[in-house]
Formats: sequence, C-alpha cells, structure tokens
Amino acid sequence: MAAIEVKNLSFTYPTAERKALDDMSFAVEQSEFVVLCGKSGCGKSTLLRHLKKNLIPYGEVSGKVFYCGQDVTEIDDRINAAQIGFVQQNPDNQLVTDKVWHELAFGLESLGLDNQSIKRRVAEMASFFDIQTWFRKDVSELSGGQKQLLNLASVMVMQPKVLILDEPTSQLDPIAATEFLKTVYRINRELGTTVIISEHRLEELFTMADKVMVMDKGRIIACDEPWNIGRYLGGSDEESRHPMFYGMPAVMKIYSACRAAGVPGYMRKDREFSPLTIREGRLWLEQIAENHNIPEVDSSALNARAASDKIRQKPTKNDTDNEIINIKNLWFRYNKDSGDVLRGLNISVRRGELFCLLGGNGVGKSTTLKAISGNVTAQRGSITVDGLKVKKDNFKELFKNRLAMLPQNPQALFTEITVEEELMEALYFSNFSDEEKAERIEEMLDRMEISHLSKSHPYDLSGGEQQRLALGKILLLEPKILLLDEPTKGLDPFFKITLAGVLKKLTEEGVTIFMVSHDVEFCAEYADRCAMFFDGDIVSVGSPKEFFAGNNFYTTSANRIARKWLPEAVTWEEVAAWAEQVTMTDN
Amino acid sequence: MKIFKDGLGEGSTFAGYHPAVNLIFFLFAVGITMFSMSPAFLAVTLVFSWVYSLMLSGRKAIKINLLFTVPVIIIMALINTLFNHNGATVLFYLAGNRITLEAFISGVVGALLLSSVIIWFGCFNVIMSSDKLIYIFGKAAPVLGLTLSMVFRFIPLLKSRFKEINLGQRCMGRHVEGGRIAKLRQAVKEVSILISWSLEAAIETSDSMEARGYGLPGRTSFHLFRMKPEDWKALAVIGVTGLIGAAGCIMGRTSILFYPKIVPMQWDAVMIVIFIAYCLLLSIPIIIDIAGERKWQQ
Repeated sequence: MAAIEVKNLSFTYPTAERKALDDMSFAVEQSEFVVLCGKSGCGKSTLLRHLKKNLIPYGEVSGKVFYCGQDVTEIDDRINAAQIGFVQQNPDNQLVTDKVWHELAFGLESLGLDNQSIKRRVAEMASFFDIQTWFRKDVSELSGGQKQLLNLASVMVMQPKVLILDEPTSQLDPIAATEFLKTVYRINRELGTTVIISEHRLEELFTMADKVMVMDKGRIIACDEPWNIGRYLGGSDEESRHPMFYGMPAVMKIYSACRAAGVPGYMRKDREFSPLTIREGRLWLEQIAENHNIPEVDSSALNARAASDKIRQKPTKNDTDNEIINIKNLWFRYNKDSGDVLRGLNISVRRGELFCLLGGNGVGKSTTLKAISGNVTAQRGSITVDGLKVKKDNFKELFKNRLAMLPQNPQALFTEITVEEELMEALYFSNFSDEEKAERIEEMLDRMEISHLSKSHPYDLSGGEQQRLALGKILLLEPKILLLDEPTKGLDPFFKITLAGVLKKLTEEGVTIFMVSHDVEFCAEYADRCAMFFDGDIVSVGSPKEFFAGNNFYTTSANRIARKWLPEAVTWEEVAAWAEQVTMTDN
Repeated sequence: MKIFKDGLGEGSTFAGYHPAVNLIFFLFAVGITMFSMSPAFLAVTLVFSWVYSLMLSGRKAIKINLLFTVPVIIIMALINTLFNHNGATVLFYLAGNRITLEAFISGVVGALLLSSVIIWFGCFNVIMSSDKLIYIFGKAAPVLGLTLSMVFRFIPLLKSRFKEINLGQRCMGRHVEGGRIAKLRQAVKEVSILISWSLEAAIETSDSMEARGYGLPGRTSFHLFRMKPEDWKALAVIGVTGLIGAAGCIMGRTSILFYPKIVPMQWDAVMIVIFIAYCLLLSIPIIIDIAGERKWQQ
C-alpha cells in the first residue's frame, strides 16, 4: 500500500483568486525518497501541509489525501503526531524548549510516555544522530546546522513512518546543508522511513532521490526518476526551457543543453545514461575529450598562483583612484582573552563593483561587515569608506547617502503594516516633499518588481519578496556603498536571478556592493571580483574566472566537471558552450 | 581556602543532588529562619548562609551580599526603632516619642532575619538551575514546567533578535540622531520590530508543537534526574533535622519575646536538641560540598 496517496487534491486560499493546488494526484510508495521542487509560491508548502492533519491550511479543499489507506483528516491524533513527521524551514522557530535533551523528549512527552521509555528512545536517537556531545547544552548555544539536526532528531524520536521536510536546508550554509541532507538520506536508507522533501538545493538531492516531482502553479509538471527530469524541462532550445530548468544541478543543465544541441550522450555499457553526479559528468566529458583529442590542462600549476599573487600586487594608480573601501592591516578580537578574529586584514574594493567575500563559517566574514559599518571597533588598523575614516565622530556623515547594510534577516527592518508604508518609513528623516517621496517609492517598488504587492503586509510576502522589500528600503537611503550579508540565503534559483539583475543595475549606476556569502555558484556567475576569507585574512582574490580556476575544492560544480580541460570555465553555460563547440568543429 | 576564591558555582556537589533534596533543604532552611526571632538562631543561620554563599559564588559574593543586605538592615533597624514605641527600657525621647532599647534590638534582629533569608535565596539561585526549576514545576503540572522551559528558551532568542534589529537600524543610520526623544523613539521602534517579528515566528513554533502532538491528553514531563543512594541519605538527614527544627518553630522555641522586656532563651535539653538539629541542617550542604572538593583534590 502506498505510504501517501493524493487523489484529485485542489485547494484555494480564502481570498485567493486562483487555486494553490490544482487537481493533484500522485502516490508515494513505502520507503521512497521523493524530492519536490518548484519556484517559491508554486504550492510546495501548501501541498506538504496537506499531508499532515493538524497543519492543513484553512481554505477550500476538494479531493483527498490518504496515509496508508486512511483519510488524513480522519486519522487518530496520536498516530498523526507520531507517524507523520514534519520539519519546517527555520531552525530557530521550531525549537520549543531550552535544552537539547528536553527538545528531543518533547514529542514523547506529548504522547504521554513514562520517563524510562522516553530516556531510552532519546538515548537511541541521540546516538544515531551523534548528538550525545551536545545533549545537555542550551539550544541557544547551537549553530544553525545543529539546530536543524536537532529538529530532525526530535521528530525522528517519535519513530515516524513518513518524514516530510519543507525546505529544511534553506537557512543553512552549504556544509551544514550537505550534512543535514546526508542524515535524511541515512534515515531513508537505514530506517526505511518514507521521505518527501521540498528543496531548492538540488545538487545533492538528485543523487539521493528515487523520484523527483516538479511543480508549477499548483500542478505537477514532471514526476519521474531524477535522470529523466532534464528531458521534461530542458526543451529543445533556450526559449522552450521551463523556468525550473535553471534550478537543476549543473551537470543536468550542461547535459541537457548539450544533448539538445546534438552533443553525443554519456555511454555506459553501450547504453545512454544521463549523468547525475559530478563524477559522471566528468566521465562523460572524458569520453568527448578522448574522441576529439582534447589535451588536459595542468590547472594546478597554471592558475594556483594567479589569484593569490594578486593580493601582493602593488595597486596601480588607477586602482587607488577607483578605490572606495580600503581596509588596512585590521586586527580585531571580541575581548581581551579571545583569539583574533581579524588578523591584519587588507581589502580594497573599487568603485561600482560587486565584490564577494567567500569563506566558511566563523572565519570572520560577518565581523568584517560589522567593522566596515562601525558596529565593532578594531584594535589596530584603519578602514576608509569613500574617503571617510570609519569612526564614531564620522557616523553621521558615514550613513548619510554613503553606507548602508542589509541584515541577513529582512524581518529585522520591518515596522509597518504595508509594503508601501514600509518604504515610506525609510524616508522618514529625509527632507523631500510628500509628492517626491511618493514618487521615489513608486519607482523603488517598480525596480524591486514588487509593485503588485504594495498593499500587502510585509510578513505576508515570500522570503524572496521580503528580501527585495528590505533591499528597496535600504536603497531609498541612496547609499553609494551597499553591504550585504548572505543575500541569497533561502532564495530559490529564480529569485536569485532577479536579485542578480537588481544588483547588476545598481553597480551600473555606480553603487558599490560588498557582499558576504557562502553561495559559490551565485558569486561565480555574478560577481566582479571574489575573495576568499580564511583565518582572519584574505588568501586569494580575483575575477571569478581567475579565482575559481585557482581553487580545487572551493569552486562551482561546473568548474569541477570541466576543470581538467577548461580550468577557467566556472558557469554551466561556459562548459556547455565548450562541449558543443568541441564536438561541432570536428564534424 | 581555594574554594572561596572563585566559588563552586554549578559545579557544587550539592547542586548535583536531586532537585527534591535541594528544594526540601531550602524550604526548611528558609522556612525555619523566617519564623525564628531569636539572636542565637539568627546568628547561626546568618553565619551559615554567608559561608555557603561564599563557597558557591566566591569573593564576588561579598560585594553582592553586602549591597543587598546592609541597606535592609539599616532601614529596618531605623524604622522599627523610630516607629515602634513598645518596650520598657526607654533610651531617650524623640519629638515626644519613646525610643526603646527593645524596639531597637527587635529591629536589628528582624533585619538580620531578612538579610539571611536574602542570602539563602542567593544560594538557592545558584543551586536551582533552570532545568531543576522546570522539573519541580513540571511535577506540579507538566504545562507549568513546559512554560518555564519555553521562557528560558525565548530569553536568549529575543536577545539575539534584538541585537540583529539594533544592528540593522544602526546600518540605516538611525542611531546618529542625538537627543533624548529621538533615542526613545528609536528604542520604541526597535522593540516594536522585535514584537512583530517574534509573534510571526511564534506561529511556526506553535505549528511545530502541534505537529509533535502537543495538546494530546495525558502529557508527561521528562527529566534526567534520578534519586541515587546518596540523595536518599541526604534527604533522610535533612528530613530529620528539618522536622526537629520545624517542631521547635511551631512550639515557639526558636523565638524570644522582646516586649515589654527581652526574655532570654531557656537552654533546657529540648532547646539544645532543637539548636543542634538546626545547626546540623544548615551545615549539610557545606559538609557535602567540602567532602566533594576533597575527593577532587585526592
């Protein structure tokens, strides 16, 4: 019997005009691993919420959902609580109690288990998830990745048969996300739990999934094994591609674009086989390279020094003229006894560029942002922003049409009840007339592509829309320099493209953008220059091409696939174009 | 001694005992202290409370204890002396009112009582960590325990959110406007952001609670505490000595009469038993902690 069966499910939110779910039917077999993907707002969350009784949103429903043959709305409450596990997006908001052990026990307490049984189950789960070392900690001491693992563990402790995850890794950094997804995979393989997961980060999930479902506007547009998905979305040329195509793993994008252009496919044991992993992608290119005698490039010797040499280069006259942020020999520690977070940091950012600072967790990226914005004071060294030293006496001038920062959580800025008023709030201290203000707001709404939402409540917006509203609010202050802290966190691939467009326009207008990010793919595609931050200092800096060609591990998937023959290719388009060109010239 | 330097804090051996043992000890210690208006008993409780407070919090306890108790002592002694005109021994007349020795002494004794209760509460605070309080309240009603646990969860969460809001506002250049009204207005704005953000986030929290079966009848309250043999032993000693002390309290033997003339204590056999039991009771955590420290040193 199918674990979950959905039959002709349609759903409309109370005030909405169109259906959020439109006549959906599918079945998820026992122990299956199903990935659900689609644009934000396509109805993924709505669908997932219909699979769990007490989370079903309010609205007009038709059709039915069955859990093991039983109507979901009629399951016993205890079975519903224990057997259908649900993990949401935000790691912080799902935690209820103050201690890790208490959080783990929460569900079992609800079920009314006695102390001894809870202890045993919690112990088992803690060992399975390897969280015994932080078992007695306060939840506030955990990292985001640990918090989300804890959320997962405290659902798993109830021994659910079906596990539903709604974008569980969107708020995590790439390494924590990978670890989280691996744990989910382990649960599926080792415990046989049925998994239904919605996600934007598909690179890893495609290799784990039994089935991928693609949703668009409340309908399923593709539901098949992962290697077949490219065929549904790829189309024959750029125009016929479904927008969801851009959210697929780089390997699949390259492969399906190349196949459409007539490049020979990946043959394994005389059968065509769609590559899913980077390894398979490499093997496929290997076949092409062999057939066309493409020489290997020794990238390690050629490029390794290129980017790191740049830091030591003396700036030319032109560079110094163009320089807008200059950090010189900056040393910082939070208090006397802690270690140095910044160790003699030097950064120079040029006017009108999109500068990306990449690096792992806790290396001091955010501290750098705080230092530039004057929120922490360095012990040694100096920061100059647009010719003005960052120090207390200068704050008034510094923040007046010069510097602004967008915080990681856009909610941190929202005070008003409509989007329009929210933007108006930004102009509270400006001296424009009311008409002028209204005009500016109109323009900003247009620019951020949120005009249709002007009367909505900021909290009713999706993550990507909130991000753009917050950005719009900041931009109304007309800063010359914009600091961004992880702007792509939690955004789906399309919002990322929109955001990139907005940022591009800004840099063209002369705004300098300094952004801190984990998102290698985004930075590779859109940055003017990237820098790698490690141990309190910059270790390499350069244009994305120079920068990623010099990296071996910390680079884009496309680069990993093709670096053997084409080290400077960082985006999937470049690799696809190369593969096409190689095969075409021969014929 | 070394333990008085930095204090044992939550590493104290007595703190490692079962919360029920801790709680019963403090109920007896504070309870008997509150109903003992006699210099001998108060001297004992004051000394032991100071010693234990120093053991738990180290040198920094001196400053805090004095800061909290000295004003109390002065104010109480003054008020009682000035406004209570009972007593036979008149010291002098102030604006036509009798100022008596008895009123003065009873004021000082009452002040000592209050100050040792305050210090005992300081110790209580160190020993009863959040999860012990949650356990105790959870025993009374699971919902109470959970509520408390959620409160402890939200305090650091709200703090970190507020920090982020503050940072965001600073980076909009919102803190450069001087003036008290501008600052107040800004603070109100930040708090209002915090509230709406947290309310919004709470919806997700309640979803997560409900998804894990919150609201089903028959909720239990999980804890990691177990009564060990030494807990039972300590509980027995505390029980016996505490009950003797409490009995003394009820018989009125732990207090003396102040008015009209101070009646000194009668040191008969019963009194001596009560007194020794009381001293023993108050020294239990000190003995346990010193023994615990010894074990580490060996």
